[in-house]
Amino acid sequence: MSEYMIKVEQLKKNFGALKVLKGIDMELKKGDVVAIIGPSGGGKSTFLRCLNRLETVDAGTISIEGEYLVQNGTYVNAEKSRQICSRMGMCFQQFNLFPHMTVLQNLMAAPITVKHVPKNVIEPEARELLKKVGLASKADYYPNQLSGGQQQRVAIARALAMQPDIMLFDEPTSSLDPELTGEVLKTMKDLADGNMTMVVVTHEMGFAKEVADQVVFMADGYVQEKGTSEEVFGHAKNERLQSFLSSIIR
Amino acid sequence: MNEILRMSLLLASGCKVTLEIFAVTLILSIPLGLLLAIGRISSIKPLNKAVEIYNWIMRGTPLMLQLLFVYFALPSFGITLPDVAAALLAFVLNYAAYFAEIFRAGIQSIPKGQYEAAKTLGFTYSQTMQKIIVPQMIKRVLPPIGNETITLVKDTSLVYVLAMNDLLRAARTIVQREFDMTPFFIAAVFYLIMTFVVTRVFARLEEHYAKYEE
Repeated sequence: MSEYMIKVEQLKKNFGALKVLKGIDMELKKGDVVAIIGPSGGGKSTFLRCLNRLETVDAGTISIEGEYLVQNGTYVNAEKSRQICSRMGMCFQQFNLFPHMTVLQNLMAAPITVKHVPKNVIEPEARELLKKVGLASKADYYPNQLSGGQQQRVAIARALAMQPDIMLFDEPTSSLDPELTGEVLKTMKDLADGNMTMVVVTHEMGFAKEVADQVVFMADGYVQEKGTSEEVFGHAKNERLQSFLSSIIR
Repeated sequence: MNEILRMSLLLASGCKVTLEIFAVTLILSIPLGLLLAIGRISSIKPLNKAVEIYNWIMRGTPLMLQLLFVYFALPSFGITLPDVAAALLAFVLNYAAYFAEIFRAGIQSIPKGQYEAAKTLGFTYSQTMQKIIVPQMIKRVLPPIGNETITLVKDTSLVYVLAMNDLLRAARTIVQREFDMTPFFIAAVFYLIMTFVVTRVFARLEEHYAKYEE
């Protein structure tokens, strides 16, 4: 057992000639919530997607609770990699719910197909999760019959149905209006309060300030600054961060 | 009126052949087309290429030529098939290629986010295809598949060249024997009824899939 839930060392990622991540280090303990902020194109989402292998890295090391996913640029075998990645749930900016399934079916699909959990076992659990995100009454709706905020909460519940140890959020509120943003952030805050380890790429500075144990400012492929929200928002040392913060005045 | 009834009954036996070719072709070429589509988008290059060439040949030569080939040329390679089997072989191989291209387009129209969501939930590629991609693809390809199915109803008449007693040949036989053009009209009505049924079935399927929107 490692003391770190997630440990990332010198992570590098290129898209062709474009160097997107130029050596990222990050450490999270169990239950930590880290908010990654920064300008678009700075590598935030790419970093997040590297954690669960939606993107493959070119160099560096990622370990989850001491188990290597990738060590110095070399991945563990496919089976092991799948097993490690399955410990991470993910929510996307565009929700990516399965449109041909009802809300309840969305939650049950992975446990039934991937983990072979019997339907009669997973159904009450799925309904319980829906209750937790405040959508118990929407179980039989199709995703497009829901608001964006509701869809994102279903997406969170769907990820939780696989009982992940870590939740990754890729700009979960960026396509929502402010009112709907609030309900999603509240769900995320509840999750954080429940001691979930979370990595959140976000433009919601309020959320970063209030909920995150650690705020990471990423730009130009580097972690420019990291610390507690107070350190990052209150006493920004880095020039790039200062200009970023002054441009978004909140 | 009696005359029309008598002719209709004679044509009904031709309908049987037509419907048999139609049904068997549809039942076999749809799953084969799906397999070809999955091969076509496979990351295994040789498989991908092989399907591409197959589709090119099947869609690039006339179905009638393919029918004649299976019926007349295959025996010279030592493969002799009964009439109906020969016709069915050509139809299934040909239609599978068309269905494959429709399915491929349908599969490729599903957004990348669906694959990513499935992957983060632990689905393997084949589970993703079975549970997430193909079920959504079906809704999207219903209109072109319906089109192709209507074409198939009428394409069955190509077995005429193999001297099989389908609807068209049955009509033609009566016309030649009795010097009366009525059987052609009756045959047209039969084809129209069949295509009407196909149209209705696909309309119902589209209604069924309208229960969700993307």
